[in-house]
Amino acid sequence: MAQTPGQPIQPAQPQRGPGLPVPWEPVLSAAVGRPNSRDIDDYISRGGYDALKKALETMTPQDVTKVVADSKLVGRGGAGFPTGVKWGGTARNPAPRYLVVNADESEPGTFGNRYAIDADPHMLLDGMIICCYAVDIQQGHIYIRGENLHGFEVLEAAITQAYQKGILGPSVMGKEGFGVDIYVTRGAGAYICGEETALMESLEGRRAQPRIRPPFPIEVGGGLFGRPTVVNNVETLMNVPHIVERGAEWFAGIGNPACPGPKLYTISGSVNKPGMYELPMGVSLRDLIYKYAGGMQRDQKVKAVSPGALACQILPGDNLDIPMDTATLTRPPYFIPPFGPVGFGAGGIVVYGEEVDMVQIITNIAGFFARESCGKCVPCREGTHWMLDMLRRIASGAGRPKDLEVLRDVATNIAGRKTLCALGDFAVNPVGSGLRLFWDEFEAHVTKSSPARLLEPAAAG
Amino acid sequence: MPLSHELKDRITKDYFLRYATKRAALMPALWMAQQEHGWLSRETVEEVAELLDMHPTDVAAVASFYVMFNHRPVGKKIVEVCENPSCVINGATETLHRICERLGIPAGAHHGGATTADGEFTVRPTECVAACDKAPVIQVNSRYYGPVPPDKVDEFLADMEKFNVEGLPAANDLEGRAKHLRREVR
Repeated sequence: MAQTPGQPIQPAQPQRGPGLPVPWEPVLSAAVGRPNSRDIDDYISRGGYDALKKALETMTPQDVTKVVADSKLVGRGGAGFPTGVKWGGTARNPAPRYLVVNADESEPGTFGNRYAIDADPHMLLDGMIICCYAVDIQQGHIYIRGENLHGFEVLEAAITQAYQKGILGPSVMGKEGFGVDIYVTRGAGAYICGEETALMESLEGRRAQPRIRPPFPIEVGGGLFGRPTVVNNVETLMNVPHIVERGAEWFAGIGNPACPGPKLYTISGSVNKPGMYELPMGVSLRDLIYKYAGGMQRDQKVKAVSPGALACQILPGDNLDIPMDTATLTRPPYFIPPFGPVGFGAGGIVVYGEEVDMVQIITNIAGFFARESCGKCVPCREGTHWMLDMLRRIASGAGRPKDLEVLRDVATNIAGRKTLCALGDFAVNPVGSGLRLFWDEFEAHVTKSSPARLLEPAAAG
Repeated sequence: MPLSHELKDRITKDYFLRYATKRAALMPALWMAQQEHGWLSRETVEEVAELLDMHPTDVAAVASFYVMFNHRPVGKKIVEVCENPSCVINGATETLHRICERLGIPAGAHHGGATTADGEFTVRPTECVAACDKAPVIQVNSRYYGPVPPDKVDEFLADMEKFNVEGLPAANDLEGRAKHLRREVR
């Protein structure tokens, strides 16, 4: 559905292709565009909370975890960890346990959660309560980024309605001994809060700096307030009611069998119809750009793509037949040492047309990571600024011949999990891959540099 | 000006019950304090610290980590222009420059910004606000406006509400999709 103002949203209708069930019907974004879709009565009229009811009445918590594990649902936030394994692991650790929903969504190019929460907040609550039942949790916290004030208000209203209907509170849907409370906490502008341990630090009222693992969040000492905690992405939990209702087999049969299910793809950049498109995992880049996103602006050629928003390695525009999914983009040949997996992130695709100056864009990206480094680990805190300084110099035409080699060296030295969280690797992914793909462009910038320009202040990146 | 009794009541009677520790109420407390005063003065920080049994330095350290907390007075309308790739490709840099030019202020830094002399506007670049389909996107007091390409800046400054895309999908005329929405349960 292209969400251009004034234009009706068209349901995505993929053509026949390998791995795509035909006809395809949106699941997670079915209510996008429906008037009053945020209302609890509307959600119930669409079959909402039936899955929760089914789970409470006919399944044990272990059954629920099993169906989620069997569905092969993997986390939609970027790491791609199997959700069923996470739930099962947490349930084995002692109570009290917590559920934390990561609604921080700050990766530039990603905006699926925002639309999903806006259109169907109860689907998220539905999934959350089912998770609480499966893992025996009494309290869930949603952490939403501060910029999404509207989403915060939508969630608060939805939670109030759920309490009024007895879906939240001391006994969920009248089930004896099973009570759930859900709270929303607003972030205040920090990219790092999308990292699960930094998010929990922020929820606990601290500077959002990642924790040392182990202990992992699912273990005692590693989670929220030191308790075993399930941290799931919004989209991951929104899949859960559908899995419980329609079964693991249905879900496992959608898209790429290695990481199946529907996916909220968001695509932006040099395309005609940027927007959110719900498609089966594994749709090709070509289909996304040309079939759904309306092709390239001014009929440009695709020069490059950030497949999972900025933190991923940049892909060249010459192979558009790559399936866009977590499994494909994290394994060879899309695992490139020393930088590791290309990565799919949360499925936010940024497309660069041939009019785009990649040196400027990579400088821009480096600026983002330098500003958003939390400052805890040295390689990231210092390295991102070194990279930005050099890139700004090159981009402004004051580059020195040695700069490119030094830049590559700095990037290589930050890469390879030398920091507590993945942000260090995120920061070098675009720079390292950009240098590899666009070395000539960088070299041209340096060759064109004149000594006179060295005296000018560097332009902002 | 001290914090209101209502605010303190909400923190102690509602937010303290939500979290396992008192200090976890810090983010909501800072948000509410900022809503009351527009920014977090030293006095406000000290009051919040007292309320949560924290050291004021500790509160200030947390508050300064997050860019949405203001550490100096700001304009009535905080205009934030996204400066990440999807927006930049679509002209965001020029949009920001033009807005600053029209309002007669310099383009401020990411974590600060510049305020007009009449105290009406604070303008600053921001990181991605998760609305890349509306590139170049602008947030005004955390509401979404866009797309505002450079040639629409004058129109935008004259009538911002025309560009408001808050909650757009549900508010839009999209009845075509409503009919096949009931989930098919097999």
